[in-house]
Amino acid sequence: MQTRVDVFEDIFMIFLVLGTIVGVIVVAYTLYNAYKYRDTGEPADEDAPTLGELPTGGQGGKKLFLSFALSAVVVISLVAYAYVLLLYVETGPEGENPGEDAIEIDVEGWAFDWDFHYEDGVETTGTMYVPAGETVWINVTSDDVWHSFGISDQRVKADAIPGEYDQTWFVAEEPGEYEDAIECFELCGSGHSGMTADLVVLEPEEYEEWLEEERAALEEDEEDDEESEEDTENDEEAEEEEDDEGGED
Amino acid sequence: MSDLPPRRSVRRWLVTTNHKDVGILYLATAIAFLLIGGILALVFRLHLLEPGGTGLLSGNEYNQYVTSHGLLMVFWFLSPFAFGFANYFVPLQIGAKDLAFPRLNAMSYWFYLLSGVLAVAAFFLGGSFAGGWTLYAPLNVPTYTPAMEATTGSNATVFGLLMFVISVTMGTVNFMTTIHRHRAEGMGLWNMPLFTWSILLTVWMMLFAFAALLAALLLLGADRIFLTQYFATDQGSGLLWAHLFWFFGHPEVYIVFFPALGIMFEAFQTFCGRRLVGRKWVIIAMVLVAVQSFLVWMHHMFLTTINLEIKTLTMATTIGISLPFDLMVFALIYTMVKGRVRFTTPFLYSLGALVLFILGGITGVFLGAIVLDYEFRGTYWVVAHFHYVMVSGVTALIGGLYYWWPKMTGRMYSEFLGKLSFAVYFIGFNLVYFPMFLAWETPRRVFHYSGDMTLWHQLSTVGAFVLGLSVLMIIATLVHSLRYGAIAPDNPWEYSRTAEWAVPSPPPLENWDGRASYASGSLEFVPDTPATDGGAVADGGTATAEAAHAGHEERHPDHASIWPFAIGVGTFVFFLGLSGLTPTVIELIEPYYPADGPVITTAGEISYLYPAITVVGLAIMGVSLFKMGVEDFYVPEPRVAERWPFGGDLDDTKMGVWVFLASDVVVFGAAIGAYVFLRLHEGWASFDPIPFAAWPGLLNTYILLTSSFTVIMALVMAERGNKRGLLGFLGATMALGLAFMGVKAFEYGVKFSQGEFWFTGLEYSLYFVTTGLHALHVIIGLLIAAFMIYRIVSIDAYLEDERPVEFFGLYWHFVDIVWVFLFPIFYLM
Repeated sequence: MQTRVDVFEDIFMIFLVLGTIVGVIVVAYTLYNAYKYRDTGEPADEDAPTLGELPTGGQGGKKLFLSFALSAVVVISLVAYAYVLLLYVETGPEGENPGEDAIEIDVEGWAFDWDFHYEDGVETTGTMYVPAGETVWINVTSDDVWHSFGISDQRVKADAIPGEYDQTWFVAEEPGEYEDAIECFELCGSGHSGMTADLVVLEPEEYEEWLEEERAALEEDEEDDEESEEDTENDEEAEEEEDDEGGED
Repeated sequence: MSDLPPRRSVRRWLVTTNHKDVGILYLATAIAFLLIGGILALVFRLHLLEPGGTGLLSGNEYNQYVTSHGLLMVFWFLSPFAFGFANYFVPLQIGAKDLAFPRLNAMSYWFYLLSGVLAVAAFFLGGSFAGGWTLYAPLNVPTYTPAMEATTGSNATVFGLLMFVISVTMGTVNFMTTIHRHRAEGMGLWNMPLFTWSILLTVWMMLFAFAALLAALLLLGADRIFLTQYFATDQGSGLLWAHLFWFFGHPEVYIVFFPALGIMFEAFQTFCGRRLVGRKWVIIAMVLVAVQSFLVWMHHMFLTTINLEIKTLTMATTIGISLPFDLMVFALIYTMVKGRVRFTTPFLYSLGALVLFILGGITGVFLGAIVLDYEFRGTYWVVAHFHYVMVSGVTALIGGLYYWWPKMTGRMYSEFLGKLSFAVYFIGFNLVYFPMFLAWETPRRVFHYSGDMTLWHQLSTVGAFVLGLSVLMIIATLVHSLRYGAIAPDNPWEYSRTAEWAVPSPPPLENWDGRASYASGSLEFVPDTPATDGGAVADGGTATAEAAHAGHEERHPDHASIWPFAIGVGTFVFFLGLSGLTPTVIELIEPYYPADGPVITTAGEISYLYPAITVVGLAIMGVSLFKMGVEDFYVPEPRVAERWPFGGDLDDTKMGVWVFLASDVVVFGAAIGAYVFLRLHEGWASFDPIPFAAWPGLLNTYILLTSSFTVIMALVMAERGNKRGLLGFLGATMALGLAFMGVKAFEYGVKFSQGEFWFTGLEYSLYFVTTGLHALHVIIGLLIAAFMIYRIVSIDAYLEDERPVEFFGLYWHFVDIVWVFLFPIFYLM
């Protein structure tokens, strides 16, 4: 299985090597010609351009088309190759968009943090938990303005647009805690620069345990909620008042 | 009207309509905006010295600086700088005495300058727009403005941009008409110098691209002032803005780059002493790019939710559009072969531009591969890539400044200082932008970057100051030239070919005596009499029927009018006033505002200042437009010119009207497109017609169609010289227009009385704004009709020359046709 990191490294390397070769050749050839045909003060041949002539083209069209054809071949074959990998990225490593028991996490950006919704209503804010070595499908959206969710280390990115759900996947191979690994890639307001979140990659069994704990905590909370329903109502009213006050700023 | 004051007088520069003067104004103003945009960049590069920022700027200030840097450089520096050259040299290159509409040209300059002043003033009106130069939705609507702590300032940015787009539209009409209809005898389209070609294709792209931006900004302006909801919803608003913006934004890349390319072609030919290799194919390649530029915009949206099929198609068109550039690059390279390359300052800049463009192009291919784009989106790779491309364009434009400097000022510059400035510039450029490729994982517009990128960002900041220094050196070189430079000959460059080098440096006010002609195969100046075949000069001064028709045989063309400036000032004041209206509007509509509408948290407060400013602006506009309308300003059309394919019985004004209407088609097209897009997004069937009944729409359809008939009758009467008939039918047209507005007012009134307003919901916004935009066109038509009636009554206008009635008729028919589309969309579906 190729991860997003593998795909990126393959293709980026090929583009970089070819791009560098082409760049060096073309720039060197340009400078070589500029130097070789520098003005040496020799008298001009008869064909030199004159003031006030109606423009026409110069000689040398054959070479022009040869170079053009060559560059076209390079560019088109590069992009065709990249397209094959695009199809892989679009369908995912299992060859099907999220399969039945795929891990799916809904990501929601808001100014200026990220919420993560896991199965069974488990939620986190500011930290994303994923199992190592497994394909994680994400559905990215936004609660307010246009954000863009990206983890550079994992070579994964998706626009977070209000009302839209952008789906993609990644595989995190190394367990560990990656601080500020998640960044926002679209200007979203005054806090955009600091709109980061942490990525925590757990061993699959640890991930399951973590999920189980969260689920249990959630159930406890719900029981608590039922017991103190009146309190909650009071709380809500209090919150609303706060909102109103905030609104007049 | 009056004579043009001397160049040393300030008044000269306020009243001049001469293309060379306006060109210099454009160049000087563009450099001023370059300096402002550059200072902003230096400040935020300093802030970027340390990860997390040095504390120089707050997050919000940083966003403002980044946003204004982008807007000022792209809109107020790059294009206008190129159009400074276009103003000065396109007429010279094609053998015209001036642009087709000199007052309109002056007006587009004043709109340009004052729009920029408004955009910069935004900083002092509570903070400028801080949502990025792409103004992505929904961050661009007032709901999120409190986060930016400014309404007036960020509105001023948006309206500054709107005013700039109006300036561009006027320029487009002017250049299109001039290049198509004022070419010297013998200069077919194929024969045009490549700089002129590049400008022609640029204005063609501008015509359609900027009209789409105009529509987007009108809708955004409505959202920001009147609280409509185009870009405020989570029902496709974000994508709608991205589509509208990039439909404009991608052609804009070529709009910015083509003039630079044109300069590179000119400079390479001159300083290599060779004609361009594959000239015909280069032109074809440029035409292909211009057309295809409208089919690639979605490559800016690869990471959004558009589907794979569309992405694939866009990828194909994107690769397709990169190939013609390969051809152009190779054409430049092969033009050097077997040439006599002279490393003058302008050539060094052009060669440098070519090298930088090659690097920019190669790194662009990376972005064309969608998989890579997924990773590069929103990173410094994009920043580095487009700076390599755009600032490569700047490099060529600076080359153009040196190339044409002797022609414009009559002074040579110091080659030593020029080359020194190039060396510093080239090093500075690569020091700023190349490290950005290395730091590519940094997100754009962010100062919290990871620590291992620090070195690259610091190098980049140092480079920014080196680049800034080189700009000062360029300015110093040119100031030095003005003071100490040797007197420039007519043609300082061996092997130059184009006509501007055949006239004195600087050229006289009307460029040359007589007219330019290429009928013999090369440039000659012949007495201005109608051509006989082969360019043979007829005996001087035989008045022909055509000349008699013009009726101004002896009259000298006018070059001075204060009204373009006055109209610019009025429009500036008007937009300044509009910028501050939002709080007042919020206060007024608050009682009717729907509870489930987008949250408006800006404190509303009735202000009398800004409404007053708006009214004052309107008054200045009204008076000065009227004054300009009655001003006697003589601009002759060339009697002999190459006009294919816009010859025949077309005249300049008629062509101008057609070009304007073509751009207006795009404006309405975008507005209707926005409606279709948003309605499809929400589900076509989920909208009900907003009007309380279909009959007012039907009635208005009849009224407008009838008015189309009366305006034709008015033209017939004018042709017959029948004053009473003309007055009667023009009056009837006005009456019908007023009736239309009456029905409309009634219809709106019914809605308002039911408590339904433009801010009630998305479908209400769509209905009120689109029909409102149409109503605005009707009102403008009514004002023109009223003016014409005044002219008929006061000076018996249009009885000898009925063409203005015809032009008005074209506009009026267009407005009617638009209604024919709006009626079924908003009343029946």
